[in-house]
Amino acid sequence: MPYRRSIWRTLHYKPKRKFTFLQTSYRCFSCSLNVGQVQQNKSKDTERMTHFGFATVPESEKVLKVGAVFSSVATSYDTMNDLMSLGIHRLWKDSFVRSLNPGSRLPRHDIDNKSNGWNILDIAGGTGDIAFRMLDHATNINKDRETRVTVADINSDMLVEGEKRSLETPYYKSGRLTFMQANAESMPSIPDNSVDLYTVAFGIRNFTNKQSALVEAFRVLKPGGVFACLEFSRVSNNIFNEIYKRWSFSAIPLIGQVVAGDRASYQYLVESIENFPSQKEFRGMIQAAGFMIPGQGYENLTGGIAAIHKGVKPVLKM
Amino acid sequence: MQQPPPPPRSIECIQRRYFGVKRHLAPPPQHYHQRSPIRPQYPVSAQAQAQIRQRRPYHSHFQSVFPTTHEYTHSQTAILSAALEHVPEHGFTLEALTLGARDAGFLDVSVQLFSRREFDLVLFWLASRRGLLKGKVEEEEEGLFDNVIDEDTRARGNNTSRLSVDEKVKVLVMERLRMNEKIVHRWQDALALMSFPTNVPLSLSELHTLSSDILYLAGDTSVDASWYTKRLSLSTIYASAEFFMTQDASPDFTATEAFVDRRIEDNKAISEKIKNVKQCLRVMAGTAVGLGRSWGMKL
Repeated sequence: MPYRRSIWRTLHYKPKRKFTFLQTSYRCFSCSLNVGQVQQNKSKDTERMTHFGFATVPESEKVLKVGAVFSSVATSYDTMNDLMSLGIHRLWKDSFVRSLNPGSRLPRHDIDNKSNGWNILDIAGGTGDIAFRMLDHATNINKDRETRVTVADINSDMLVEGEKRSLETPYYKSGRLTFMQANAESMPSIPDNSVDLYTVAFGIRNFTNKQSALVEAFRVLKPGGVFACLEFSRVSNNIFNEIYKRWSFSAIPLIGQVVAGDRASYQYLVESIENFPSQKEFRGMIQAAGFMIPGQGYENLTGGIAAIHKGVKPVLKM
Repeated sequence: MQQPPPPPRSIECIQRRYFGVKRHLAPPPQHYHQRSPIRPQYPVSAQAQAQIRQRRPYHSHFQSVFPTTHEYTHSQTAILSAALEHVPEHGFTLEALTLGARDAGFLDVSVQLFSRREFDLVLFWLASRRGLLKGKVEEEEEGLFDNVIDEDTRARGNNTSRLSVDEKVKVLVMERLRMNEKIVHRWQDALALMSFPTNVPLSLSELHTLSSDILYLAGDTSVDASWYTKRLSLSTIYASAEFFMTQDASPDFTATEAFVDRRIEDNKAISEKIKNVKQCLRVMAGTAVGLGRSWGMKL
């Protein structure tokens, strides 16, 4: 039966052909792994070590490796996020922005303050997910047309993706949205006490030295400014945790393999989530950087899969 | 050779010995909305400490010498106090909170210090007014009751008259209600916020604390089950009077005062009725037992 055979062929070969095509992609993380291993042999034992997923690597190498992961996933970043979180990441980001309520509703009366709006710094916000939401909220809800966002990312591939997406928003070339490449652990181009709101959504997990990034955040924030962080965290309910772990360790790398053609990158993703400190530990780190903690200090989303952390830089009274 | 005297034992040491654990040294539990990782520390002079100790009829090893009615930090208190100035104009809203933050030298974004937003403003209002009420009673000269006694004595010509607990409760309730005078046109919004389902537990705990404080300040010393019923009925009276006050247009809130009077009278009447019914039931039960025995039952 030739008809039946043709159906079988399409079903059988199509995914296979697609798969082999994706495997040849030179940007994939698995290729960069070999490069990394060669470098690892060269590196001295004296170097400080850090986590990379479940593996331990020298600090200098983590930057390269994380860079490789995100260069590899940049183009399929959004589709993958939707598939992995079943679309819930959009709700998390919306609730994050809504809780921060960016934009001044009330006009300022003092003359010495030249600009009305907030100066927001969005770290590791390459694709602009948070930045666009912030600007939308400020414009549409608080009627504030002066709040501006600086998107900083260490990875230029992610920034390119964000700039591409900004073409479709009304903020392109409006002066309210700027992109810059920067390492969150030291940003000499940003002066002290200049930022109202510092946000980092699903990024701080990948930093080599989280504490020094927090200290840098404390430096750039104005007194009274807010550090806000949206990040994966620990699930409190044991049963739900079991289901969640099953999903993240078996389904997510599989989805990564099928859709983005890169299993290793997504394996790293789930391992780095597992390694990230719990809500209370991270709150301690924020406090150690000098921030005041409002109330409990964190807010769990979807039973603790993600959590919003906040810290406020204290105002020193004379 | 003489032995040196043993070193004096610290209280901690003794506690550890008799209670086994150190957790007795932990501060007493607060209402959970008052719990914050950073507890405010007020610098209090030794003189003030002694004064406060004298004024208090009890001594607690665990309580701070300068009790506050809320657990907000210094920065939070600064913002909230400044924000209360804007409440008559802007109501219990985020705008008032933002303006308060600006006045206190903070940024617009600093309202993130308050995880419950405008409801924190309402809670702070309630807690701080409760503190003021306490302060007014505990003032050494010209305390709240002293003023009232003066008026009374002038009316009756009797110097030794003392207020009963019920009268004191009425004075305290009216004093607390009068504190709402400036913001009474905004109080309906606050009541709406307080009745929001997620805010109900905190509002109720604050109301309970207020009625508990009022009864304590009025000198109520009951230790039986009436401790609960008294607080419950006072809470009801206070909450309904607050509702009534939002609609009260009479000068100096005379209508509210009359309302509070009537409620306290009702309360008295009801407790009287309950007492009578109880007595009646007791007599009837006694009679029934006597009747049964006279019929030869072995009771």
